[in-house]
Amino acid sequence: MASAMTDRNPRAAEASGTYTYTSRPRAVPCQRRRYRDSLLQPADEPLNYGNIMYDRRVIRGNTYALPTGQVPGQPDPLELQRQQQARRRALARKRAQEQLRPRTPEPVEGRKHVDVQTELYLEEIADRIVEVDMECQTDAFLDRPPTPLFIPAKTGKDVATQILEGELFDFDLEVKPMLQVLVGKTIEQALLEVMEEEELANLRANQYAYEEIRNVELAEVQRLEEQERRHREEKERRKRQQWEIIHKHNETSQKISARAFAQRYLADLLPSVFDSLRNSGYFYDPIERDIEIGFLPWLMNQVEKTMEHSVVGRTVLDMLIREVVERRLNNYEKKEDTQPSMRSDDVYSGPDTMTDPSGYKFFQGQPSP
Amino acid sequence: MAHARISMYMPPDIDPTKAAIAYGCRALPKLNEELRSETLLTRQKALVALCDLMHDPEYVYEAINIGCLESLKALLMDDDNLVRIKTTEVLYIMATHNIGRTGFLQHGVIIALSFLLNDFQTVCRENLHQAYKHLAQLPEGARGIVNSGLIPSLVQKLQVEEEHIQEIILDTLAPCLQEDATEALKSQAVPCFKEKLLSGNPQIRSKAARALIAISIPLEGKNQVWENEVIPILVDLLSDPEDEVQANAAGALMHATVTTEGCNAKGRSWRFQGVSESYKLLPNLSSFS
Repeated sequence: MASAMTDRNPRAAEASGTYTYTSRPRAVPCQRRRYRDSLLQPADEPLNYGNIMYDRRVIRGNTYALPTGQVPGQPDPLELQRQQQARRRALARKRAQEQLRPRTPEPVEGRKHVDVQTELYLEEIADRIVEVDMECQTDAFLDRPPTPLFIPAKTGKDVATQILEGELFDFDLEVKPMLQVLVGKTIEQALLEVMEEEELANLRANQYAYEEIRNVELAEVQRLEEQERRHREEKERRKRQQWEIIHKHNETSQKISARAFAQRYLADLLPSVFDSLRNSGYFYDPIERDIEIGFLPWLMNQVEKTMEHSVVGRTVLDMLIREVVERRLNNYEKKEDTQPSMRSDDVYSGPDTMTDPSGYKFFQGQPSP
Repeated sequence: MAHARISMYMPPDIDPTKAAIAYGCRALPKLNEELRSETLLTRQKALVALCDLMHDPEYVYEAINIGCLESLKALLMDDDNLVRIKTTEVLYIMATHNIGRTGFLQHGVIIALSFLLNDFQTVCRENLHQAYKHLAQLPEGARGIVNSGLIPSLVQKLQVEEEHIQEIILDTLAPCLQEDATEALKSQAVPCFKEKLLSGNPQIRSKAARALIAISIPLEGKNQVWENEVIPILVDLLSDPEDEVQANAAGALMHATVTTEGCNAKGRSWRFQGVSESYKLLPNLSSFS
């Protein structure tokens, strides 16, 4: 191994100055523990050098036979032998079967059997075996790794859950904003309602205060009305009283003056009465009265009669004259018509007819028929 | 990414009693159709889902636009108890929104709800009264309730219902009486309130006193309050341990005594006592005014 190390080293040293290890050859101790017990334990222990012949690491016997060796964990050599025998038997069986198997006949004289590919795609057949270089290098001696934890074998049922994208979330984190909104909204709503109620209570208190003021003012108004009414009635009463007084006063003075006047007026009532009576002739002298009533009308009547007579006589006379004159006139007209001869004197128009000097209207007014 | 489906089971907050809500703008029309279905289970599930959705005012607006109120009115007459309870609950939640209230007034839901005043289910009646209470917060709503002639029945119910429903009814009546108190005065509300003033529950006392404040604003109310001798009780309540009760009693006294009759000898003694009691209250009042 040291040589391998030194073989590799020049290659490694070319790349970079890395780790190199050299040691001088020494005898290999036996029964050496494969792992150190603890990391801190120094390696300088009394090393027991053992017999190389009894060292398990040394392969004894012929190396060209390459026995498999007894690796721990493998079955014991008995089993191994059995397996080998089984293998030999299988081989023999196979050889026997191969002999029985029919083969292709031998080629004809001059010909040779050749293997030909009959597949669709030709395949290059080469004798070369694919070789791959593999290297294996065990690690340097490791420290004993720590004992792995004892995990007991799994028992029970396996249950799996598929978690889809976005299903995993932290509830406390996610719920905070939602809770904030919920609680905030609820509190806001509650506050609104409380404020509404407060406002309503305030309004109602204001209403009551207003009602009280209204009532007080109403009572005041009524009181003032009553007062006013009383005053007014009192005034009316007093005024009426005064009116009555004045009225009476006037009446009385009028009565007094009327009385005085009446008295004075009637003072000369009696003489004036008598005077007027006398003037209207209620006190009359009987003889005078008698003369006036009896005699004088009679007298006047007689006078009237006499005058009427004379008037009538004059009227008759007038009529007579008129008639005569008319007749005469007619006669003259007739005569003139026939003969405007001499006229005879009318008997009727004599010199002793007198015309009435009084000139009676009716005579003049009479139209000639 | 992890799979979306983590477990074989559905998430725990899917409620089998709720109908599935469709996405986006199909949610409400689909629920509306389900409300009209023949199957009882479908109707119930749709109602439960609707209950949840109606907390949002945008959904309420959309629901009213597509006419959910008509289907709900029809469901009020249903035979099944759960359907009626859930319908009243949906209507109650809608009444907490202003859009819902105006929708009620336009679609005449008040009359439809009034048929359930004598319902057997307590929860149903409670939801009904809660809906009325929220509707009465709006002046038009209070007028609507008064115009539909519900006040006499509500006053009647006050005497026979349970305590927590009585509180709700009293809360409903207070704004309605502020609108128009004539109906209540005609239906003997003042003796009823007087009874409630003596109840053991401080909430009921304070709410009854508040209703008395409202009812004693018109002159007729003040006269009735005098006639029914509520003033002594109110004066007693001025020394009640509860602050609310004291405040409301003081308010009721204030309104009841603002009248010419308060100057009459009949009421003078009580008025003085009331004034003395309120003087005792002055240090308390200044502490929390």
